Amino acid sequence: MSAADILAILQGAATTATLSLTAICLGLPLGLALALARWANIPIVAPFVAVYVSILRATPLVTLLLLLFFALPSIGVPIGAVAAALVALTMNTSAFNCEVWRAGLMNFPKDQFEAAQSVGMRRRQRLQRIVLPQVLRACLPGLVNEISLLIKVTPVLAVVGVVDITRAAVRIGAETYDPLPPLLVALAIYVPMVYAIVRVARLTERRLAQTEAA
Amino acid sequence: MRHDFLVVWGERGLLLSGLGNTVVLSLAATIAALGLGAALAPGLMAARGRYRLAFTGFVDGLRCIPFLLFAYIVYYGLPSLGLNLDNWTAGLAALTIYNTAYMAEILRGAWATQPRDPVDAGYAFGFTGVGHFRRIVLPPLLLSAAPVVGNQVIQIVKDSAFLTVIALPELTHAASSIQSRHYIPFAAFITAVLLYWMLCLAIEAGVACLGRVAEARR
Amino acid sequence: MSDAGTAGLSAARPVLTVAALSKTFGSLAVLDNINLKVHRRETICLLGPSGSGKSTLLRCINWLEKPDSGQIYLNGERIGVSRGGVVMADRDLSSMRTRIGMVFQHFALWPHLTVLQNVMAAPIYVLRRPRAEVRAEAEDLLAKVGLSDKRDAFPAKLSGGQKQRVGIARALAMRPELLLFDEPTSALDPELVGEVLNVMRKLARDGMTMIVVTHEMGFAREAASRIAFLDRGRIVESALPEQFFLTPATDRAKQFLQRYAGNGSWQAGQFSELHPGGPP
Repeated sequence: MSAADILAILQGAATTATLSLTAICLGLPLGLALALARWANIPIVAPFVAVYVSILRATPLVTLLLLLFFALPSIGVPIGAVAAALVALTMNTSAFNCEVWRAGLMNFPKDQFEAAQSVGMRRRQRLQRIVLPQVLRACLPGLVNEISLLIKVTPVLAVVGVVDITRAAVRIGAETYDPLPPLLVALAIYVPMVYAIVRVARLTERRLAQTEAA
Repeated sequence: MRHDFLVVWGERGLLLSGLGNTVVLSLAATIAALGLGAALAPGLMAARGRYRLAFTGFVDGLRCIPFLLFAYIVYYGLPSLGLNLDNWTAGLAALTIYNTAYMAEILRGAWATQPRDPVDAGYAFGFTGVGHFRRIVLPPLLLSAAPVVGNQVIQIVKDSAFLTVIALPELTHAASSIQSRHYIPFAAFITAVLLYWMLCLAIEAGVACLGRVAEARR
Repeated sequence: MSDAGTAGLSAARPVLTVAALSKTFGSLAVLDNINLKVHRRETICLLGPSGSGKSTLLRCINWLEKPDSGQIYLNGERIGVSRGGVVMADRDLSSMRTRIGMVFQHFALWPHLTVLQNVMAAPIYVLRRPRAEVRAEAEDLLAKVGLSDKRDAFPAKLSGGQKQRVGIARALAMRPELLLFDEPTSALDPELVGEVLNVMRKLARDGMTMIVVTHEMGFAREAASRIAFLDRGRIVESALPEQFFLTPATDRAKQFLQRYAGNGSWQAGQFSELHPGGPP
């Protein structure tokens, strides 16, 4: 493996990181919106969200990505590999985030909500000042865990030709007829990344438990 | 569009065989991973022991690896070490080993919440070793871990779709093949998505059933 | 330690001999040089304040806890340490445990097995007795504790008192040489205590060798052949029940009894035949 090869893999890492970050930034608020829609029981929207989330959580990311990449152009929506990958990642993570947010919202103590109502806060204020700040804290470990899961599925991008870490490694292996070393380099990039995020998740969980106990 | 779905219907044999392969693959991997995970779990649970560090390292490490990368390593990487596997064996092996780590961790987590007394009672009545684990510890453990194991089974089904990259003829591969031959991507993949969804609902129903069995024995 | 309590009982080898048993947790001496002999058909009640080491002593007898020093002999055979001074292998320990029955404070029934299966499990899988024979005996024992109609129920569906009676049947199914009771009624609602104590009283009357850790003073006074009073890891007093409850020899015992007068299912009337004026 030459220096150029390693550079290619690092470029793939940059692609992975960019796409992951974008998907997270889009998927987190989207998941929250979906969760709120269900929690507030908005007519028509809520059951639709329930079905949407259920299907997305049951669908392999590969299948979803292939669907978007091949099917959208065929019904008149031109979409490139990167865009399709981004949409697939975002849809996927939003569905899982939705469940994390929902759990947090459902576990939110009702009496705090009623206290906010009784002092006359309106819906938006209740949400903004009372519910969300606490729900965010409670959901943090689950959300961080979901981020680690997102990183673990990013190799799917390789399936539609986006050059992420995995595809770069596979391509180098094919060119040099020595597949193992580049794959191990890819491993050496993924494992610390995921491990670091998992540690952060555990730390936030512990911190949360401590502040709860206090 | 309707024509497209008719074509899909015409190819239902291929789709169903793909679905069948997905089910067989997932089932085999689940049973094997649960079995191996159950064998691994006592090592994780041990208070001390040199094995504990090794086992924990294996489990934590494996859970940090993306499955697709792991599948690539098993299929493409191992041959350079002299181990040549066909795509079915590699796929099943990758799926099994990968999920052994998750199953072991799930069982360990469930064990931490189990009451200690019935376990002590097992020892007090002379149960020991493997017999003790098999008859006293494992059954309530599996029942209590059923929901989390159920989620993992769904994950296994989804991971099996990744194996399309090593040309394993499971459901996504079948849909891909139909799509590329008939140029009906939407119909083909939507059908696959719906089939995955139904599989998932079936698994969740099974878990709910087990949940009722577990409730009676709580 | 007075041995007066054993006068009149068989001078044969004791079922259980505990010699110089000690155990420390860190710097705390939980058991401090315990010596105890239990003869056949005796019912020994271990009494004492919390933290006195009663449960630890019990759990050391079948090696659920490992003592730090001392010896324990079951009918002359040493438990926990094999010939040569080496810690016993699992198999030998398991075989000794099958001769000692235990009833737990929180019942410890196996939740995935029915009542009947709970009673049958150890005789079949550990003693390897034939299933038909074990089943017949199990049905018999369940009838004795009054739970025949619950044989196919899961423990989750039973009341505390019922669970404990199953626990007793389960221990009896092993035909043990010695039965250990670790605060068998402490986790029960008061109205359920009686049904369990009745079963235990009957066992004592029928000649079972029992060691009972309990706070039920009424039971101890009625059913025990001897009381061993523990305080801070030592057996401070050992006497016949009447002696212990009416004329405790040590100050610690006196303090303990004062605190417990009126607790548990201790009935004031039980004293009337010895103290015409009422309880002390």
